[in-house]
Amino acid sequence: MNGNKAIRIALTKGRLEKDTVGLFEKMGFDVTELKEKGRRLILNIPGENMEVVLAKAADVITYVELGACDIGVVGKDTILEHGGKYFEVADLGFGRCRFALATKKGLDFYGGVGVKTVATKYPKAPLLKIADGIVDIVETGTTLKENGLAVIEDVVPISARLIVNTVSMKLKKERIEQLTDLMLSQL
Amino acid sequence: MKKYDLLTPEGTRDLIFDECAALRSVGEKLRQIYTSHGYSEVITPGLEFFDVFNNKSRHYSQEVLYKLTDGKGRIMVLRPDSTMPIARLMGTRLRTATLPLKLFYNQTIYRANPKESGRDDEFFQSGVELIGGDVMRSDMEVLSIAAEVMQSFDAAEQRFEIGDSGFFPLLSSKLGLKEQELDDLREYFISKNYPALDEMLSRFGGNTDAEALAKMSRLFGGKEVFAEARKVLPEGAKPILDRLEKVFDSLCGLGMSGEVTVDLGFAGKTEDYYTGIVFKGYIEGYGMPVLTGGRYDRLIADFGVDTPATGFAVNENAVADALLKRSGGMLTPAPDVVIWADDDNIVNAIKYCRELISKGLTAEYADLADRDAAREYAKTRGAKTLRVMTTTDNMEEPLE
Repeated sequence: MNGNKAIRIALTKGRLEKDTVGLFEKMGFDVTELKEKGRRLILNIPGENMEVVLAKAADVITYVELGACDIGVVGKDTILEHGGKYFEVADLGFGRCRFALATKKGLDFYGGVGVKTVATKYPKAPLLKIADGIVDIVETGTTLKENGLAVIEDVVPISARLIVNTVSMKLKKERIEQLTDLMLSQL
Repeated sequence: MKKYDLLTPEGTRDLIFDECAALRSVGEKLRQIYTSHGYSEVITPGLEFFDVFNNKSRHYSQEVLYKLTDGKGRIMVLRPDSTMPIARLMGTRLRTATLPLKLFYNQTIYRANPKESGRDDEFFQSGVELIGGDVMRSDMEVLSIAAEVMQSFDAAEQRFEIGDSGFFPLLSSKLGLKEQELDDLREYFISKNYPALDEMLSRFGGNTDAEALAKMSRLFGGKEVFAEARKVLPEGAKPILDRLEKVFDSLCGLGMSGEVTVDLGFAGKTEDYYTGIVFKGYIEGYGMPVLTGGRYDRLIADFGVDTPATGFAVNENAVADALLKRSGGMLTPAPDVVIWADDDNIVNAIKYCRELISKGLTAEYADLADRDAAREYAKTRGAKTLRVMTTTDNMEEPLE
């Protein structure tokens, strides 16, 4: 098995992309192209025989599942929402946030026997009275606070995960394990 | 009302020309391998009752099935798999057949994938089932045929991977987990979700079974994997490992060394389906296994006949796609000759065409009234010559 096979990694655009690029930098990768990417969506890491694909969260999962990319960095929330078949080999620790239930401050959400409506995007729904609560990602909680909303229950902790295509894992074992170990060692 | 008359449903597609040629060539190659080993074909209905796929040892969840109802309101499904209909056949028409029985199939199956997943909802699957034979002999036979199938794909790179469904139940049985926890653990184990697996197993402190499970999920690769596993496996699991290693060595002996690998982190999705050696085939350029198989000794009992069985299935569309990519799409041969005749020579052209075909050439008519248009058509088809037949002319025009 060739130890330096070309590898393609999909990154979730935005915050996870920045955190991953930061990690690559710590690992000693040349990230010039990643930082000055312009409008390009496929970028090279010189000397590493590695291609980086920038994509929306749900697409990262699709690319990895179908094998268009060997590995991907994606939030646990997207994994829970989309499911799919791939290996979820590491918790990268960054991109940490809460996936929580929030309501208008002071509301007795679980009280009474009436049916409650839960929306999935904040903060408007509860304020406009089209929902009693929302389930969504909470990063700092500032937006909630400023809108008079409060978290009443955490659903699941979220962080960035490293996922691997099931065939790539076998065909490029050495390379993927090396990369994963290096990433984990620099967290 | 919006009309969908120009679309095919998500997950389906038309196959044309070279796409068909690639698919048929894969199917034909596999058929030859199966029949040369003495396997007989069965064709089962595309429509089956839902109950066939909802058994104790294996069931398909409602989400993946295309459902409809018959005239009496009973739930039917489009076949999501061929092994369960074959198990049904074993419980009915083949109940008294002499065992072992060697069957193969090549037919479409249907699975409702999540939207926008990019996967085929309809595809051709072919495979074999070896029913009622001695376990060790049948395993080796089916494994060697599967290996032969993988080699026939002639892929740039391929792997044939073996495992055993017995490790997980053995190592997890004494942890005292509730059913839901056990299902979660199995999911983490299969999906190599190391963080979740480690977190759950850390509850058991230094329990040797728990430690072995955490390690086994990570153990895959070549021959070295067996020695690694021997260090962590409890005595009770060693016979399974020994048997698997013997199979590994045998496959290497069959000319597969370098291509055969092992993954000890395999477990069936449910406890009851796979009951022994399992295997998968991968080819470069396709992101999912193209071949999956294994031993399933309990399934046929669900249909009333208690007999062991093993088999595998191949996703022919996946293999055909890879073949097409590699060949650059030149699978349909161009005709040797295109024949054009004027109005008075149509029958002569037909006679001549038959004559060429009987000599082993491929020949076709240019069904056009205009001679120049016929020449253009012949060029488009990639023909070597255009034969012109008119009352005054009977000649071959070479084409560039």
